[in-house]
Amino acid sequence: MNDLAIELTGICKKYRYFSLDKISLKLPQGEIMGLIGANGAGKSTTIRILMGLIHQDDGEARVLGYPMPAEQVAAKRDIGFASEDMRLYDSMTLGWHTSFIQSIYPNWDAAYAQVLLKRFGLRADQKIKGLSHGQRVKSTLLLVLARKPKLLVLDEPTTGLDPVARHEILRELANVMADEGRSILFSSHNTQDVEQISDRITFIDRGRIIDSMDKELYLDRWRRLRLEVPSGVHLPALPGVIDVRQQGRLAVATANAFVPGLANAYETSGARVQCIENMTLEEIFVANVEHSREEVEA
Amino acid sequence: MAEPLTLSQSDKRPMYLQIMEQVKQRIAVGDWKEGQPVPSIRQLAVDTAVSVITVKRAYLELEREGIIVTQPGRGSHVSTTPGLGARLREQELQQHLENAMRVAAQLGIRPKEMERRLREAGDRVAERETV
Amino acid sequence: MTDSVIPQLIRKDLRLHRLQMVVSFGAGVLALAVMQRGGEVSLVLGSTWYFVAIIVLACLLPISMVQNERKKQTLAFVMSLPVSYIQYTTAKMVSTVLMFLAPWLMLLICALTLITTRNTLPHGAIPMILIMALLPVVGFSLILAAALVSESEGWAIAATVICNSTYGIAWYLITKTPSLTANWTGHVAIWDQAVLRLLSAEVGLVALMIGLTFLLQSRKRDFI
Repeated sequence: MNDLAIELTGICKKYRYFSLDKISLKLPQGEIMGLIGANGAGKSTTIRILMGLIHQDDGEARVLGYPMPAEQVAAKRDIGFASEDMRLYDSMTLGWHTSFIQSIYPNWDAAYAQVLLKRFGLRADQKIKGLSHGQRVKSTLLLVLARKPKLLVLDEPTTGLDPVARHEILRELANVMADEGRSILFSSHNTQDVEQISDRITFIDRGRIIDSMDKELYLDRWRRLRLEVPSGVHLPALPGVIDVRQQGRLAVATANAFVPGLANAYETSGARVQCIENMTLEEIFVANVEHSREEVEA
Repeated sequence: MAEPLTLSQSDKRPMYLQIMEQVKQRIAVGDWKEGQPVPSIRQLAVDTAVSVITVKRAYLELEREGIIVTQPGRGSHVSTTPGLGARLREQELQQHLENAMRVAAQLGIRPKEMERRLREAGDRVAERETV
Repeated sequence: MTDSVIPQLIRKDLRLHRLQMVVSFGAGVLALAVMQRGGEVSLVLGSTWYFVAIIVLACLLPISMVQNERKKQTLAFVMSLPVSYIQYTTAKMVSTVLMFLAPWLMLLICALTLITTRNTLPHGAIPMILIMALLPVVGFSLILAAALVSESEGWAIAATVICNSTYGIAWYLITKTPSLTANWTGHVAIWDQAVLRLLSAEVGLVALMIGLTFLLQSRKRDFI
């Protein structure tokens, strides 16, 4: 049993209007991976394949060492899955759901479940249909968290939640980190949360993985350089710079493979580097997607 | 330990730098004393809801700057170099002064003028403290 | 499948739909009560309601059990449990069949008891009653198969329509078959070749439906 929580190799899946193209990613045990992509990019499909809910056309999927979907029953004993389109039974109470889950999973932590009930502001005797959207999401997550699964797979766990609820969820995900043997894969549109809590980041766009790597290394590769370009100076095309926008005397260069020598190269060409800025994950996301789409079209 | 550091998502600087700065501040004001153990990487990650990898990076940098010391198997503690707190405060001052000079240069204010302004600022601060 | 989750899933389905079970059983009991009041009108009314109760159950049950899981998006919740799709299908089949057969069997027993103890109908009618009572079971298995395999409410409803239209035709054909109707006014129930052949055909059809369902379900690659 290797210590990769998730290992996807060359996963392909073809639909009529969309296909996943050779998706490969690795999540080592004990780490958190954030999966980012535009709507329809293939995040949910990839997640469903690794959960064994969809059978891939080609490629290998191993989750907690189990090949999927062949051994999904064994794998799902140790995986906690929650997706944005998942619903609980409206006519039943949260308490009924916890008993139901408890009857299936032996390592349900009842004490922790109580703590979460309080922390999330939920009541066991309330019927699901009477809950607000945020409370429903928190209920689903409670059912998954209290089992303390080895791997958490969450498809947009905080979408549609108010800031307080989002913060509560993030705290609980952080608590999972305390155990080195547990891992998390989550997809989210909330780039701030992904940036803060992920050890690894995977970018997916139009069915392809654009980037998948260590978050700090990744953030370090991206910079925005603000340049002052005197008249008569032509900005050179430099390796590692994927976009340059110039208006009059001012230009902004976006680099996805920044090295200090880049600034020098600009200065040598006659431009003046006003400042070199870090980019937030959101800015990287947009720049990355735009760039990769241009590349595909070219 | 309840949240020992206050980190902001909207702060433009990378998270690991924020962590480093807060650790240095704690030491500079004397909250964290020389030789005092600091939270383990994983513990700090959990307490601040920041990825382990980011905290690891911050700790590595702090160690490189001689601010904390990590012993394998024993965790990390504040460096016992004497005068660490004072040194950090000194560094902070340098940073402020350099920033001020940078802004002054952008405004076209010359160093001689800056000396005068610095003295005036000093007087203003002294006035406010006595009142 | 020692550790399988199937028992819990079955229990869950029964718990979720227990109101339906009670209502359908109650309707059937009401119909029987009307039947044994005596008189031809009561008999016709009662027996019609009796069959209607069973047929409605046969139609609604598969649709509500299978389709609602999909429509209400609880399927993802169930499939996140340690269960394979075949196990899910098994659990769904068992719980739906249980929920249908339990009222069906009890009503059949009540009806047969009424006949044998109260003499409202000649005993010769018993094989006919059995043949007629099995028709909705065949229909039920078809609708359940359609609901599970097609994953679409449209096809399940189509199956419902087909079944409901066919009951009348089946009834007509049966009453027009001399080998079957020959003995039903008699005082003794006669289980001759014709009757047994028809009964085994009905049971065979049910088994075929179930087998086909499992075969087709095991071929699926995308569950959600």
